[in-house]
Amino acid sequence: MVALVISLALFFDFTNGFHDTANAMATPIATGAIKPKTAVALAAVLNLVGAFLSTEVAKTVSGGIIKEGTDGVQITPDIIFAGLMGAILWNMITWLKGLPSSSSHALFGGLIGAAIAGIGIHSINFESLMQKVILPAVFAPIIAGGVAYLCTRLAYALTSRHDPETGDKLTQKRGGFRTGQIFTSSLVALAHGTNDAQKTMGIITLVLISAGTQPAGSDPQWWVITACALAIAIGTYAGGWRIIRTMGSGLTEVKPAQGFAAEASTASAILASSHLGFALSTTQVASGSVIGSGMGRRGTTVRWGTAGRIAIGWLFTLPAAGIVGALTAMLVQTGVIGVVIAAVAGTAAVAYMFVHSRKSHVGHHNAVQIEEVGQAVQFRKKKSLAKAIKNGSAKR
Amino acid sequence: MKWLELFTVAGATLLSAVTVVVLYALGVRLTAIAGDIRNSPASWTRPLAYACFAVCGVAVLFGLYLIIPYFHK
Repeated sequence: MVALVISLALFFDFTNGFHDTANAMATPIATGAIKPKTAVALAAVLNLVGAFLSTEVAKTVSGGIIKEGTDGVQITPDIIFAGLMGAILWNMITWLKGLPSSSSHALFGGLIGAAIAGIGIHSINFESLMQKVILPAVFAPIIAGGVAYLCTRLAYALTSRHDPETGDKLTQKRGGFRTGQIFTSSLVALAHGTNDAQKTMGIITLVLISAGTQPAGSDPQWWVITACALAIAIGTYAGGWRIIRTMGSGLTEVKPAQGFAAEASTASAILASSHLGFALSTTQVASGSVIGSGMGRRGTTVRWGTAGRIAIGWLFTLPAAGIVGALTAMLVQTGVIGVVIAAVAGTAAVAYMFVHSRKSHVGHHNAVQIEEVGQAVQFRKKKSLAKAIKNGSAKR
Repeated sequence: MKWLELFTVAGATLLSAVTVVVLYALGVRLTAIAGDIRNSPASWTRPLAYACFAVCGVAVLFGLYLIIPYFHK
């Protein structure tokens, strides 16, 4: 069982990686700031590094949503197994649909469902659930979207150039924002690695502790850290191209200044939330930023249909993952045969979704259509520009 | 409910994002002005643009400082 939970946890880490590549890399890919493959490679490396940077393990699996600990219920490997199953299946379904959704909320949902089915409804701390999942889900997109809207307006207002005499529009030269996008998106990717790989490390370490192979309160072992770091990096490199497509071009068209504003808001919100005591989901922040920046740029539209589908996906994250978690928990309770059935059914479902996804392949080559690939960070030098103009006038 | 924390996070997000975006946008604009050939730009535009980018660089470093737990423990 312990081995099964560890492998499942690592697979969850993998799905977490590819699900969340889009948060950091969708907008720079969409504006052509970084080429698609380079972008996912960069995100993968940063996730790998991030995973090694932060190895402190949380005291609880669920962060207080389930009443764990000495005076609460005991979360067994069975419950964790069922919770992970719910989270993984929900991650796969949302990936297939191209919906960005929070991996940690899926994990919470799975664990809650498993705990209700396996232990009882009294094991859930509803106040903590409200505060850690439901309220942040409402406020993350509002905060990020509002800030991104304002930043986009500012960025365009500050860089709009008109000829002082005629009032004609001059060349705007906003390409410089692409360079900035590389830095902001890298920060998001690094922050993701330090946060999310750590969650899986925590789960594996707590399972090892409960199995008695590791003293309580000790740090994760080196192989756990390495395995988690690799799983999330490989997942990131695999790239959830369907979600990148949704975030990069499905919600709204993204231009460099707008993308920079969106990412600056995402990075600020994530860093502020992780250091000022109100945790926000990276995915929800990033989606909110993209929508907000789309509203802020004139001449673009936000596709509210897509935004609505994403919102519905968030609404279903907890219950859907919870139902799968609960079913798995009930199966597991029946004994070894139940565990085998659950494991086989889970694998079959994942395999089916993977095969189904091949029917309409979305990869780095077609995730986002970009007009000007590869011109990323090249500015035309003053001299060559002058030469070009001189030549032009000479011809005339 | 942690409303105070929520507002702190919202405020900090707004402040930091707006600061970075405004500075970077100014940098982009000044670079654009410095690159103009028609009406010769003032000599201070390019250094000022670089100064804006440098402050943004400092913001990125501060972000790194926040992300890496080793620095603030």
